[in-house]
Amino acid sequence: MTRDAASRRRWRDAPLALAMLAPSLIVLGAFVLYPLARAFWLGHQRCDPTGANCRSNGWDQYLDVFRSEEFQQAFGVTFRFAVLTVPVGLALGVGLAVLADKQLRGMGFFRTVFSSTVATSVAVASLMWFFLLNPSVGVLADWIGGVAKNPGLLQDEDTALWAVAISSIWANLGFTFIVVTAGLQSIPADLYESAYVDGASGWMRFTNVTLPMLGPTLLFAGVVLTSRAFQSYGEFDLLTGGGPNGSTTSLTYLVYGNNSIIKNNSGLQAAVAVLLFAVLLVLSLAQIRGVERRVHYGN
Amino acid sequence: MNRRRRPAAAGAVLGCLLLAACGSGKSILEAGNEPRPTAAPVTTLPGQTTVPGQTTVPTAPPTTEPRPIDSLPPCDMAALDEAAADGPVEILFWHGMSNELGRELERIVDQFNASQDRVEVSLEFQGGYEQTIDKYLQSDTDNRPDLVQMPEYTVQLMVDTQSNVPVQACMEDAGYDASRILPTALDAYATESIQWAMPFNVSNPVLYYNKKVFRDAGLDPEAPPLTLEQLGEYGRTIQATGAASYGVAFDSAPDGGGGWFLEQWLAKEGEFYSDNANGRSAPSTRVLFDGPTGVELLTGLQDILTTGGGVYVGENPSGTDAFLKLADASTPASMTISTSAALGSVLQFVEGGIIPGIGVEDLGVGPMPSPSGAPGTLIGGASLWITEGRGDAEAAASFEFISYLVSPEIQSEWAAATGYVPVNAGAVELDPLRAVYTGDPRFRVAYDQVAQTPDVPTSNGPVLGPLREVRVTAASAMAQIMNGAEPQAALTDAATLANALIADYNARRG
Repeated sequence: MTRDAASRRRWRDAPLALAMLAPSLIVLGAFVLYPLARAFWLGHQRCDPTGANCRSNGWDQYLDVFRSEEFQQAFGVTFRFAVLTVPVGLALGVGLAVLADKQLRGMGFFRTVFSSTVATSVAVASLMWFFLLNPSVGVLADWIGGVAKNPGLLQDEDTALWAVAISSIWANLGFTFIVVTAGLQSIPADLYESAYVDGASGWMRFTNVTLPMLGPTLLFAGVVLTSRAFQSYGEFDLLTGGGPNGSTTSLTYLVYGNNSIIKNNSGLQAAVAVLLFAVLLVLSLAQIRGVERRVHYGN
Repeated sequence: MNRRRRPAAAGAVLGCLLLAACGSGKSILEAGNEPRPTAAPVTTLPGQTTVPGQTTVPTAPPTTEPRPIDSLPPCDMAALDEAAADGPVEILFWHGMSNELGRELERIVDQFNASQDRVEVSLEFQGGYEQTIDKYLQSDTDNRPDLVQMPEYTVQLMVDTQSNVPVQACMEDAGYDASRILPTALDAYATESIQWAMPFNVSNPVLYYNKKVFRDAGLDPEAPPLTLEQLGEYGRTIQATGAASYGVAFDSAPDGGGGWFLEQWLAKEGEFYSDNANGRSAPSTRVLFDGPTGVELLTGLQDILTTGGGVYVGENPSGTDAFLKLADASTPASMTISTSAALGSVLQFVEGGIIPGIGVEDLGVGPMPSPSGAPGTLIGGASLWITEGRGDAEAAASFEFISYLVSPEIQSEWAAATGYVPVNAGAVELDPLRAVYTGDPRFRVAYDQVAQTPDVPTSNGPVLGPLREVRVTAASAMAQIMNGAEPQAALTDAATLANALIADYNARRG
């Protein structure tokens, strides 16, 4: 009886709950759920260049797109880009945050400098690096010489992805720095004190206190940076245009880029976008489930 | 499912994805399609010739029926007179002209709006050609502009949208005299005997070179190379004398050295780029750039690079890399091929004194070198398209504005300020362009290239629905060749992909 009563009460509350959820449901529905469903539907179709006259090309289009040469190559590029940017970005962010986490005069200045890239848009960061790396007029090109001069780091198949990654790491450093700094400030000082009393060296305090206590922060930053790396577009568009020879055609560039061969082919573009979503979903779940158990949330 | 088994499940899904990741080796364009029947062995029929390394080419291509103009949206110029009685008709004009070009266009539109009170044009810059195309394709009639500027490679794409009033309808209704509009420029935007759009800004590739380097190397600064062989020789001389580090700087951009120039070079050699007379006698089914002329051309370019006559600057995504190589302080090049539309901007840049050692007078401009050195060019640049369904008065007002833009007076101002070729022959006889052409012959080079173009079918460029994507595949092949790949193999691969793009486009257009 009581269980029935409770369930009835729960149903009576439903309209109120719905009313209170409505604002976010409408926004989420209009800007996330509907476009997602529409993209999923579009992904099995082929349309004319204006996106009209769509016809079904079978749901196996998804599997074929996934296995196609272009998708596989773009997937590889995107994966390598994430592997290049995420660990280095995290390590640099932690390093800078630990360096700046000291009560010294003038530290505010360094904190401002280290976090400044968070206020720099991808476009500005990319254009800056574009001119720094430009083989003819770039400052860095003359310093580095060799391939940086001819044909240029961004125009050599072997170095282009690295060069884009450097720009991306730099642009994301501000974000990682701020997140890790916040994480550092929540570590209780008495942990360091007791470690110090126990005779732990600076390095041991870093590996045995700082890093474990930063676990949740690093997991968060890692997941965000990975998903950002998989969704990067501006860097590729502005620095390389997907080239040279497709070596920086990421999944996002394959969908949106001006030099993509599926430009004006909305069915295939949607299929790639949905597959990117699926890949990211699986990857984020794996990251959270796999790492979570090893993360120390305190107490 | 308990907590412990979830990571395993996630791992299993990831594993599945990775398993499926064993690529099929097929192109994404084939995705979801039924496997095609294997091609029947090629037999040569009477009346067909076989080209080595190619499938058969019909010698007599089929011809399309001219499309009757009555079957297309009409244009009623009287509608403007009626509507203008109640105040000016407002029209929206989308364009892709950036920087100096955009500022000059703004000036001309302001001048037009001030000169009369029948039509009020508001100008909207879309960020570039590509953005204009994207926005136009993805919008419905209500959200499209009344008038849009579209680059030359979109002719078939635009015709297939069936969203335009052909300018021919307006020309006929208005009794417009088009006799002074350059015929080759008009022809570029006409298919199936219909004049779809009005050429507005015409450009073509020209050779930019550093006269100072030419003098230092003992070359005549007033006699730039005309053939590819000369281009290589000049480069080797420049490099050998130490006048500059490199001769010519090549890029492989889709809208530059990689895609657009290939079309230009084939046309200059009197060759079609795609079958059915560049898609103008019937829809193209395949590209021809992997034929003997294409291979010979690319082998020649590759030779220039390998014998020390030039340098490859990459895919030039910003459009500036090839020019900047001429301004390189440590290892400069001394020549490059680029669009004539850049001349005004380049001169302004040089005038700013940013590049040490190069003055405005040191910049030379010559015709685009080609294998045989034959004159002529394909029409590059963009044209003006009137949108259907926005109202009769708006269509008529758009045409009235078009007539103003292509008038001798305005074309004279426009060409003098930008370096574009005037589309109206009368513009050359008027100042300021007359003064510019006599005072600074560099601006005249692109015009002469158009004027000297032979009146043959190959002088009308390819009209392919996916021409931009086909250019990307050609550019990719050219990049590989400039990096040392074997020309025939690279071009054959690119042609295979290009043919798949054409087939896919035709299937989707349905």
